[in-house]
Amino acid sequence: MAVITERPTQGSVRGITLADAWRSFRTAIGLGWAIEANWSDPFLFAVYTMAKPLAAAMILVVMFQVITGGQNTEFLQFLIVGSALWNVVFGVLGGLVQSILEDRERYRMLKYVVVTPSSLFPFLLGRSLARVAISLIAVVLTLGVGIIFLGVELRPDLLILVPASIIGILAVMSLGIFMAGWCLQLRQEAEHYPEAIAGAIYLISGAIFPIDILPGFLHPIAYASPTTWWLEASRRGLLGHGSPGALGGLSDGLVMLFLVASTAIAVPVALTAFAWFMKRARQAGLLDMTTGS
Amino acid sequence: MSGYRTAPATNAREAAEWSTGRIIQTNLRAVLGRAYPRIIGLTREPSWLFFEIFLPFLAVSAFVFVYRALDAPEAFIGFVVLGGAMTAFWLNVVWMMAAQFYWEKDQGNLELYFTAPMHLMSVLAGMAIGGLVMTSSRALAVIGIGSVLFGVSYDIQQPFLLAGVFLLTMIPLYGMGMLFASLFLLWGREAFHLAQLLQEPIYFLGGVNFPLGALPGAVVGVVMATLPLGVGLDAMRQLAFAESGVDGVLPVGLEIAILVAMGILFLVAARLALGYLEHLARREGRLTLRWQ
Repeated sequence: MAVITERPTQGSVRGITLADAWRSFRTAIGLGWAIEANWSDPFLFAVYTMAKPLAAAMILVVMFQVITGGQNTEFLQFLIVGSALWNVVFGVLGGLVQSILEDRERYRMLKYVVVTPSSLFPFLLGRSLARVAISLIAVVLTLGVGIIFLGVELRPDLLILVPASIIGILAVMSLGIFMAGWCLQLRQEAEHYPEAIAGAIYLISGAIFPIDILPGFLHPIAYASPTTWWLEASRRGLLGHGSPGALGGLSDGLVMLFLVASTAIAVPVALTAFAWFMKRARQAGLLDMTTGS
Repeated sequence: MSGYRTAPATNAREAAEWSTGRIIQTNLRAVLGRAYPRIIGLTREPSWLFFEIFLPFLAVSAFVFVYRALDAPEAFIGFVVLGGAMTAFWLNVVWMMAAQFYWEKDQGNLELYFTAPMHLMSVLAGMAIGGLVMTSSRALAVIGIGSVLFGVSYDIQQPFLLAGVFLLTMIPLYGMGMLFASLFLLWGREAFHLAQLLQEPIYFLGGVNFPLGALPGAVVGVVMATLPLGVGLDAMRQLAFAESGVDGVLPVGLEIAILVAMGILFLVAARLALGYLEHLARREGRLTLRWQ
């Protein structure tokens, strides 16, 4: 058994510095991109990346055309913007959760990352950034198709759009961080949870239909979700007007206030929960568990 | 313990010479063996049940609410519910047929399949039968819950023909899955992306959430020639919502003929692709390497 004879002097063992975190983050971005793109042919990868969000938006466009015959363009704009922005939620949630699960289950590297002097947090953020970047490309692409081929008219209001985007992405990331910690605790089927949760939030956030259409018992959940306010604020920032229905009647200030308030609750809750989930994962030996997910 | 009741062989040559009966018996056992985990998984993995009903149902609900927001005729709600149920089969084909050999390779099972004394078509047939049984329960749940919650009313005048069209749709659908299983394995690391590519774009092209006839004529032509999901769904909608006032792309009889032709074509193509795959596996040995 090895015996440590030399006592560490004060300062010889240091915590993670900002430079260390940046290095982890940067390295993880490269790793995440390589894994996400899977070393595939760039052209094929671009096709895969573009086809999915465009097809999702086109489904809604055809549904709209079949019923309205192209009338009510305000609703079409509502659909296109909601469908485009929702890629971010799938990207962030999927990115964070799949990163942590893949590193635990498939590549079996999570425990090694955790025991390095670096922190898991910057690594996780960097590792998931590739999917987030892909989702942002999908947003631009969907909006571009909407503008060029479907007559969507953007009237950007940067005073709303910029803060709404920053705060909204923070809110979505907090949800992703919470999910990543939670999925570490699950015995099985963890990879389905982001899809299920994103799907549920998609339903209640008014992404592709006004939340007034939802059954009454879901309204409080819809109003409590920061994604509802993020989508509403973003629509105002991009289109110059709000959604059809009750949300559209609120003032810009009130929408931003609800976005800030709901995000201010979501972020600390998510960070605290993630810290607790990680502590529990260490104690219960979940960092190298394989569940077949 | 072996279940075979053949006499012990006295030499290696004798052991290698199997009777036709024994070959058939072994392959049937392989079909049952591969179907077993998928069927028994129905009762042993309740979380699957939740996710495979819940996830398609969420998507169905979202599209139903879009139609409600657009004041669409009620028949369209039924179209979405039926489309959502068929989505469960498509997802099963993509993730649990097409991508399955790729996952098996990652887990180290594929080389066992290649070396086992059975035909790979038996493994695929087992996966298809098991998947069909497993997914049928999910699809029925989506139809049942969706119909009750959203008040869908069906107008079925030929129930046996509807059931027949459904079964006929499943043959080319799972045949396509068998073909893709070989192709996904050949394309290696692109498997995950390919599976992703076969979701929303196929829902769009297959008219899962709207009548197929709403797409441009040339696109519909390609779909009718290549995509059993689109052809089957169009025929089933004509039979399940006879008085909807929405026309199908082609008469049901013609769509049945297309499904039959597709079934034969995909099964033959799957057989040929598997043969090629087996040849490659033996010649190059590359197909059993993980993450390739």
